Amino acid sequence: MAGVWILAESREPTLELLSAGIDIAAQLGVKVAAFALSSQLAEEYIKCGCDEVMLLPPLAAGQPLESYVPVIVEEALLNGPDIILIGASQRGREIAARAAAALNTGLCSGCTGLRLDQEKKQLVMERMLFGGAAVQTVVCETRPQMATIPPRTFEQAQPAEGHQGEVRQLPAAPPSPVTVVERTPKTSEAVDITEAKTVVCVGRGVGKQEDIALARELAGVLGGEVGCSRPVAEDLRWLPEELYLGISGKKVKPDLYIGVGVAGQIQHVSGIRDSKVIVGINRDENAPIFEAADYGIVGDLYDIVPKLVKEIKAALKI
Amino acid sequence: MPRIIACFKWVMDEADIKADPKSRQLVLDRVGYKISDYDRNAIEEAVQLQEKHGGSVVGITVATPGAKPCLKDALSRGPEKACFVNDPAFENLDPSQTAAILAAAIDGKIEYDLIICGEGSSDLYAQQVGPALAEKLGIPCATYVNKLTYVEGENKVIAQRKLDDGLETVSVKLPALITVLPDLNTPRIPSLKQVLGAAKKPVDNVSLANLQQTFEPCLKTTGILAATMERRRLKFTADPEDIRKVVDSLIKEGVIA
Ligand SMILES: Cc1cc2nc3c(=O)[nH]c(=O)nc-3n(C[C@H](O)[C@H](O)[C@H](O)COP(=O)(O)OP(=O)(O)OC[C@H]3O[C@@H](n4cnc5c(N)ncnc54)[C@H](O)[C@@H]3O)c2cc1C
Ligand SMILES: Nc1ncnc2c1ncn2[C@@H]1O[C@H](COP(=O)(O)O)[C@@H](O)[C@H]1O
Repeated sequence: MAGVWILAESREPTLELLSAGIDIAAQLGVKVAAFALSSQLAEEYIKCGCDEVMLLPPLAAGQPLESYVPVIVEEALLNGPDIILIGASQRGREIAARAAAALNTGLCSGCTGLRLDQEKKQLVMERMLFGGAAVQTVVCETRPQMATIPPRTFEQAQPAEGHQGEVRQLPAAPPSPVTVVERTPKTSEAVDITEAKTVVCVGRGVGKQEDIALARELAGVLGGEVGCSRPVAEDLRWLPEELYLGISGKKVKPDLYIGVGVAGQIQHVSGIRDSKVIVGINRDENAPIFEAADYGIVGDLYDIVPKLVKEIKAALKI
Repeated sequence: MPRIIACFKWVMDEADIKADPKSRQLVLDRVGYKISDYDRNAIEEAVQLQEKHGGSVVGITVATPGAKPCLKDALSRGPEKACFVNDPAFENLDPSQTAAILAAAIDGKIEYDLIICGEGSSDLYAQQVGPALAEKLGIPCATYVNKLTYVEGENKVIAQRKLDDGLETVSVKLPALITVLPDLNTPRIPSLKQVLGAAKKPVDNVSLANLQQTFEPCLKTTGILAATMERRRLKFTADPEDIRKVVDSLIKEGVIA
């Protein structure tokens, strides 16, 4: 089936892309199809407005999810979709890049917004450039038009009364030359930092892992949560991956963000841009965080944070 | 002994990019250039594998002729040779073009077992060129790798991928391509001797004419606007009175309660 195709690793992002897909398909007067990994999910996607579900058969043991690429490419070659929207998980990004290359078409990676140019029947897509310093608008001149879209960009599609659709079984994936020898699922139950009203963010200026306690105390008196910069999670591994903020991490919109020893490079600031109030604590008065902050405190965090805690306690009488 | 190709991109340093707040146009006349951040990890990994297992490392880039300074920078980090795929037309390429040009420059022209790319480039951060190049070359790939082992005698690599849902260790037969995360290694800082030595290393120049193909873009950029942010940018010291002022303001703004 031509039209708009949706592909994501799991249920929630599929439903999110489905709501965007239904909208675009209605404007184009075409149908919406989605890939599903189980017949149960297939049923649900149809209830939520999908016209066709392409059911992917289970993979053989030890095959990574990316093994479906040849199947997806084959279906696209047979059916000629106008648009393919793919959930921007890491696997989704690899699948999309390989599929786009095989289909000789363009892919807008990390698309943060899209609309349809009705006249040209073309998607107008936005994405971040230079670590978030700029927004780039692109159109895809080839077909299908492809985009990977981060989670929570759209609301999930909801069940529509009595919506009907078809389920079509796809052929099995050919054996992949990449085989899985071990899987370690994520165990840490990190808080959902995107929900926090106040975020105290630990940067590399915090010299030792134990000293994160300082940030925790500040977060404690404010009723907030502790987040971090990418190197604190990835290079130092002091805090879980789910807690780092920025263009490749989580995007947050708290009422209050306090950066503690965070330099404030653009890739980080892109993730905190929508905070209501930004406070930066840094001993380098030229640190970029001060360009991005409402309140900048220049000095040693080991001196400032305890003072801040004391003042807040006094002001709130706790 | 693995023959390795490390792909690197010469990019504008985003820290130098300014914006005109009224027009939201980027002001690029004072920007410096650098090797894309994560490509330094790609080069480092290639060089470490060579130090351990022998073989060779070629650094390859697709750029305009003006990017020539990238060669010395890249070669000072350890590769013994560079392939400079350059043409005045190679400006503002979209990822599909870059992947196609790399494929044309590598396929049948450079012998390799392993190609290493960064997770994403610092300017576009499309995270596409690596997997797209693998697809064009018809070789397997493993993305988002934060641990890599070359298995001698078996012609394969074991790669640990860091994904949203956990870690996945995969075994990949060579030839293959991998894309690397920054926590894989710490790139070395070239010594003066290495910087000087880099100028003497061989460079293969490849032009568009040499590739005997055309490369049309798939994506068209219709606009670029600076992302602006209105902030008050008030500055305070660590004096207790200043700290009190900040706390008072935050309470007044209703973000502390
Ligand atoms: C493609 C790409 C994507 C990226 N994505 C992200 C992302 O999503 N999120 C992210 O965070 N980063 C990201 N980065 C990395 C980003 O560019 C920065 O390198 C990173 O944010 C810096 O982290 P930091 O501020 O903790 O560390 P640093 O840059 O090391 O800064 C530490 C700061 O602490 C200050 N300091 C030191 N000691 C003290 C003290 N005692 N008291 C007060 N201040 C002190 C220093 O002055 C300095 O400003 C990305 C980079 C690239 C290339
Ligand atoms: N012009 C280029 N020349 C060589 N390698 C590149 C180029 N552009 C991208 N790459 C490689 O592909 C990776 C991903 O780039 P991107 O798809 O732009 O995010 C980079 O980290 C590089 O390893």
